[in-house]
Amino acid sequence: MKKLLIALLVSTFSFSAMADGHAEWWKKAGAPYAGTVIQGVAENTPPGQFAGEVLAKDFEKLTGIKVQLENTSWDQMYDKAIKDMEANSGIYDFVYIEQDIVYSYLDRDFLVNITQSLKDQPELVAPMVNMDDFTTFIDYFKDGSGDVFGMPMEAFVKVYLYRKDLFGAADAKSGFQKKYGYPLAPATSFAQWRDNAEFFTGYCAEKGMECWGTTVQGHTGHPASTYEFLESIGPSFGLYNWGVTDDFHSCVEGGGSLNGARAKAALTFWTSMLEFAPPESLQSTWSEVASTFAAGRAAQGWVYGENAAWIASNEEKSVVVGNVGVMQPPTAPGVMTQAAAGEGYIGYFDGGAYGIPHSSKNKEATLLWLQYIAQSEVQADWAVAGARITHYSTYDDPKVAAMDQIADGYFTLMQNTGYLYAGAPMYPFHAAGRAAIDPFTYAALAGEMSPSDALDGACEALDKVMKDLGYQN
Amino acid sequence: MNSSKTAWLLLSPTIVILIIVGLLPFLYVLYVGFFNWMPLGKNKEMEFINFGYNYRELVFDKFFIDSVWRSIRFAIVTLALELTLGFLLALSLLSSFPLKAFFRSVHTLPLVIAPIVVGAIFKLFLVQGLGPIPFLAKELFGFKLNYMSSEAQAFWTIVVMDVWHWTPFVTLTLLAGLSALPQDPYESAKIDGANNFQIFIYITIPMLVPVLIVVIFIRMMDSLKIVDEVWMLTAGGPGYSTRFTGIHIWKEVFEKRTYGYGSAMSVLYLYITIVICWILYSVMVSRGKANEDE
Repeated sequence: MKKLLIALLVSTFSFSAMADGHAEWWKKAGAPYAGTVIQGVAENTPPGQFAGEVLAKDFEKLTGIKVQLENTSWDQMYDKAIKDMEANSGIYDFVYIEQDIVYSYLDRDFLVNITQSLKDQPELVAPMVNMDDFTTFIDYFKDGSGDVFGMPMEAFVKVYLYRKDLFGAADAKSGFQKKYGYPLAPATSFAQWRDNAEFFTGYCAEKGMECWGTTVQGHTGHPASTYEFLESIGPSFGLYNWGVTDDFHSCVEGGGSLNGARAKAALTFWTSMLEFAPPESLQSTWSEVASTFAAGRAAQGWVYGENAAWIASNEEKSVVVGNVGVMQPPTAPGVMTQAAAGEGYIGYFDGGAYGIPHSSKNKEATLLWLQYIAQSEVQADWAVAGARITHYSTYDDPKVAAMDQIADGYFTLMQNTGYLYAGAPMYPFHAAGRAAIDPFTYAALAGEMSPSDALDGACEALDKVMKDLGYQN
Repeated sequence: MNSSKTAWLLLSPTIVILIIVGLLPFLYVLYVGFFNWMPLGKNKEMEFINFGYNYRELVFDKFFIDSVWRSIRFAIVTLALELTLGFLLALSLLSSFPLKAFFRSVHTLPLVIAPIVVGAIFKLFLVQGLGPIPFLAKELFGFKLNYMSSEAQAFWTIVVMDVWHWTPFVTLTLLAGLSALPQDPYESAKIDGANNFQIFIYITIPMLVPVLIVVIFIRMMDSLKIVDEVWMLTAGGPGYSTRFTGIHIWKEVFEKRTYGYGSAMSVLYLYITIVICWILYSVMVSRGKANEDE
């Protein structure tokens, strides 16, 4: 015990000394730019809020550089960032780059090469930043030659959350066993998911509780629903990369699989879950799904990992604190084997980075800011606040380990099985392709089209986009 | 300096501003409409195709044509409802009744609310699980109101929202027109033995035609270019059910980044709007003249 205390004191002292040394470097490096105001735009997520409310202020104290981060809705964020970069107006010094849009941005040469910029200006290189500490997620933001164009600020997986209190209730266990003939448990197959969803919808109704069997991110006017289908539900049924072939065909007739059997099974399953989902599901994006789960209105569901920590720990926002279970989502037969072999993936590895547009008027000051958030030492608090991890060393931090326990091993799951998940495919036409699919997803969710017809229409629309844009021969 | 020169001098700042923010952008959109320009495509450059290519494609674009019909249907339905309700309310406000001033003020409130806020208000009232309207619809009438689950519900929800927002405008304008009508024709008609209905049809309506033309024009044009409220409430969904042409163009231009095609769409839709309004204007003016002759 004595030795442990001494070790703790020594490490604390060393850390403080190191932090003081770092502070001196930041003050010196920031001095030429003191008073500069750098403007950023990002999506309003827990990690984004932490960056704007905590890291930005710490950075300003050290360097005198003020960071104004505009955290806004997902669509507004894209609209503002893209228009600014297209018009070259220079309103924003840094923009949020979601993993799925980075290929469009690189293709259109919107972003500053961070690696090259730091090589050209060695006086701006922060010595305490260890780029090798970044997880492989940073690879999504590199070009072919390995140069970095975005500094990762969040990375997380979309997981299966369930309510331990409901799954552990004695009357629920006995009722489920009696009805379905096997024990109640979190879903490891889609059939079990369905049974759980049906059971808890009835169970909650019987008890007069405002809860339903499952979440569905099924907004019928927002891309969030298409994303849930393409990035989470589809892959877990074996639909990878939107079912698009290497020569850019998505319909079965052209060799694609967006309207193939696996895709149709996935969409049929997903839309059938609406029967057991809270009534707000058709108006729910990723944020509303997290709120629905935190409000105790669903027994299980797919939830973006960035919300796992606050749902599990923030008593002001969540009524299910202490009752959150985290697991890997179920997969159809064969999918796990393909994912383990690197031939597929089981779900979505999401995240984003901050990048500097060419139009930025304060590139040097922004390079310092991006390096500030890249330091390993600022990562732990950020991970606890936003359930995101971009650095290997973060997993070992005691604060993160403590949160891991509260969040039922979410970080451990991400560390151990993260490789089974994948980001969006590298399509420069990402937004246009998704926009072509959207109306068909909406129509299937609203019951205006059958899942089969919707996917037939979706693949035709996507093929037309790829053809019009010159990708398909 | 003669009066003509003074007039031009005073008008010149406005004319310059109009040229910069109105005419030049329009000419640029017209110009871009002749190009193939898709920054997300393999070829990112503006490429001249020919003068008619984008427009010819548009004529056969089912989604665009559907969006135009949807917008026209929406404009006709809302215009009919707003005119009917607005007329009835304006006639009511001509007479005296208790709390008239209070009613008129409350009735006018929606007019001062920005369209995007109107969309947000309706969204809050209609959202499942939180909104009072689906709750009351279910509790009182057993009706399952979930506007994002049905094309018909989504369309009619937007109609109701638009009618709520803009009927006060119709009421106020018609009220101003009705208040300004001369009283002599009414007195003559009464002496001649005309009943109230005949007076309304043969005196009030014909004399109100100029005001009606203005109201119908403004509301027709506004309804055809509706975006904000719909964007906030349904964003065009579910499916394509509320994807009016304004939203369709936004999605083409800013989501798919088809600048050339999107520009052509905008120009063609402007043309369609002008034609519709011109037809409406011609019909109303000719009806007005015919009534005068009678």
